[in-house]
Amino acid sequence: MPFVSSRRILVIALAGAALLSALPQSSQSPWSGTLAAILWAPLVPGASALAWVRDRIRAPSEPYQGLPEDLRSAREDRDQLQGELDARQLRIEELERELRDISGFRPADRAGWQPRRATVVERGGGRPAGLLGIDIGTNQGVGEGDPVVVGGKQIIGEIASGGAENRSWVIPLDDRRCGRIDAIVTPQASGKGGNAARQSMLVQLVPQGNRTLVGELESLAGVNPGDSVLLGDAGWRPAAQGMRIGVVESVGKLDANPLRGRITVRMESDPARVSRVVVKVRVTGEGQPQGQGARGAGAAK
Amino acid sequence: MRWWIFIPVMALVLSLDAALMPAFAIGGHVPQLWPLLLAFVSLYASRSAAIWAAMILGFWLDAMHPALGVGIDAPRAVVVFGPHVLACAAGAWCVLETRAWLYRRNVLTVAFSTFNCALLASLAFIAIAGIRGAYADPFPLWGGGSGGAAVGSDMVDALYSAVIAILPAWGLQSTLTVWGFATAGPRFAGGNRMNRGND
Repeated sequence: MPFVSSRRILVIALAGAALLSALPQSSQSPWSGTLAAILWAPLVPGASALAWVRDRIRAPSEPYQGLPEDLRSAREDRDQLQGELDARQLRIEELERELRDISGFRPADRAGWQPRRATVVERGGGRPAGLLGIDIGTNQGVGEGDPVVVGGKQIIGEIASGGAENRSWVIPLDDRRCGRIDAIVTPQASGKGGNAARQSMLVQLVPQGNRTLVGELESLAGVNPGDSVLLGDAGWRPAAQGMRIGVVESVGKLDANPLRGRITVRMESDPARVSRVVVKVRVTGEGQPQGQGARGAGAAK
Repeated sequence: MRWWIFIPVMALVLSLDAALMPAFAIGGHVPQLWPLLLAFVSLYASRSAAIWAAMILGFWLDAMHPALGVGIDAPRAVVVFGPHVLACAAGAWCVLETRAWLYRRNVLTVAFSTFNCALLASLAFIAIAGIRGAYADPFPLWGGGSGGAAVGSDMVDALYSAVIAILPAWGLQSTLTVWGFATAGPRFAGGNRMNRGND
């Protein structure tokens, strides 16, 4: 069956593709997302079925795998509560600082959120690597910047803008394009001292891919491998604050400046191997004032 | 080439790439099947049919791999059409140029062409993304890291894809007559072949 045999049309099509390739994103963004959703739509049922097969072939690395369902659910609930507790503790510390200063008034954090369970239906194995496609979108209230967690408290990324009604893209936390992330290292509660002896330390992490993030510290005193690392970045949504990024994998000195320390943080969940995630969707009406918790210029910090 | 066969097979291959192939990832390197399909078509179809197939495939690949731009609250996923179209056309061209001196009816040849196709498509994509990065994109289209690292990573991906391609290539070779290619099917005289060239 002849398709388009004219050489001239082929050359014109190639020239058109070259022109499209040269156009900036702003020229394509008004229509390209809709067209991509239309092109992807026929593949969704097959891809969903194949994703199920993929999970049978290679089990996703979910927390507490292998435990009975009720025990796993109980532990996830516990982790979720722990995550909320961590977030509240950070908030209390912040309020205490503010009370000490009494330098100004800041509206209370009233941002509400609701969990929305989603299935990972697509992984960007090609380019750009690492973006995850999930099966919920703006119809379910998902919006850009919403944090994505697994196991109740382990944050794995955030929603990128540009999703569709029933499809969204997740930028994993270890993706270099996520930009710098402010985090808090909380030493492990050791023995009797418990929380009283805990002294958290601020660190700015740079994603390195492959589940790792690295950060520089003025001093390594009090930081040990195994310490928890929590997200504490004002640029992220309040629902993401205090969520657990991972644990300190290694501690060392900077080659370039041995007086400064370098820590490597390993995410507890591998974004490339999760199959189900929870999006902390912002609830309208109770939301924070416009502008709070927003990243001014995207990831370019 | 019979397009009513190519389109469903392409849909199947893209679904497999998006959903199933990550199960075979090793050290972050995920094999892809689209270079196999493109190499297979380019080995047997007429030149224009192969380039058209590459462009259609690239169009879908562009739809499946959004780039990241600057958003208000979070980085914005923007689908940029074009780079994969040209990259796939470059990959198909590579196979078209080399097929004359290859023994085509061999599974290893298809795997070798898969490697060539994936590698050249990768080089073309990174070149386009590099040019775009100079004026249009806040983040390079290939993701993080340097272009050289992306080439190295894609080279491993291409090699892995070629190894994985051996089995499905055998399946594709066994369906050769179904595709109605201009330069394949039962052995026939040169005169007959000329008449079938315009597919």
